[in-house]
Amino acid sequence: MANLNREIQELLADYGVALRDGCLPAFLKSLTREEARAIRESDDFWEATEMVRLMNSAGFGDKVVTPDVGLFISRVDAAIVSRQKRASASTRSPSRNRVNL
Amino acid sequence: MGPRALSPLRRLSGGQYRESENEKPDMDKRLRNALKGLTSPDAESRRRAMEPFVRATFNIFIRHLYRYLGNEVECEDVLEDVYADIWENPDHLRDIANDAHLLRTVYLYYMRKRLREVYRRMNRNLALSQADLENLVAPEMGLHDITEQAELRQLLHRMLGKLKARERKAIEMWMQGMSNRAIANQLKTTVGAVKMLEFRTILKLRRMMKDYSDEED
Repeated sequence: MANLNREIQELLADYGVALRDGCLPAFLKSLTREEARAIRESDDFWEATEMVRLMNSAGFGDKVVTPDVGLFISRVDAAIVSRQKRASASTRSPSRNRVNL
Repeated sequence: MGPRALSPLRRLSGGQYRESENEKPDMDKRLRNALKGLTSPDAESRRRAMEPFVRATFNIFIRHLYRYLGNEVECEDVLEDVYADIWENPDHLRDIANDAHLLRTVYLYYMRKRLREVYRRMNRNLALSQADLENLVAPEMGLHDITEQAELRQLLHRMLGKLKARERKAIEMWMQGMSNRAIANQLKTTVGAVKMLEFRTILKLRRMMKDYSDEED
């Protein structure tokens, strides 16, 4: 991605590689103002990105290494508990707190 | 800007075509029950319903997110927030008709919000406008975005069969994970020519997909 002011086909190729390798932020940061403008003005680019995502999914989607669902569920549950606590803390009034103490 | 057309449902897990999502196909019973629990007004019931819901949907959701992130660790982090958001505000999940409707709703109302947040903080240092950034990282659903993985592969395989040998070879090698330089070596050409070939071929495939969708509709 060192090449400055890449052509639209090069931008798409780099987008595809970034998506495939899971480093989209690096691609986004590599864009110059000129390239960002070229992307904005190119309908072909936007249509092609849609296709690239599907190709990425068809080619690599099944290779996703999924974690143990049980462990993941405990992460989700912990997130829910933390939100519950946050919600109850924000609804508790200060005067009520003093009474409880 | 960006891809925008939302195609109606085409096929469900049983392999049957359906006209629209208003038709109620059989949804996995456990998932249907979990959805019922998830839309309960009681927070504890929703929390209990989360486990079967995650079990029934995790693989589908993480593979879908992978399309936009390409990175398992980030997919898990985003998905954790998505499930917690669903627990907190499950209103959009009332009246879900089938699996594809569920995936579309979860993407549009929960995943997109989180995907945008992943990149929002970056935007101060980017040349892209906020709208373009969002279209790139969390686009609206386009053609075949809710098509199942296996069906998508089948469809792509069929489309690839209609391409010229050189075009097909380039795309197949890309989908095997080869770099553009390696593809160029195989095709005995330059990296620049490979990128141009891929770009044109991808647009060709996109047109074929669109024609296929139009026929289906």
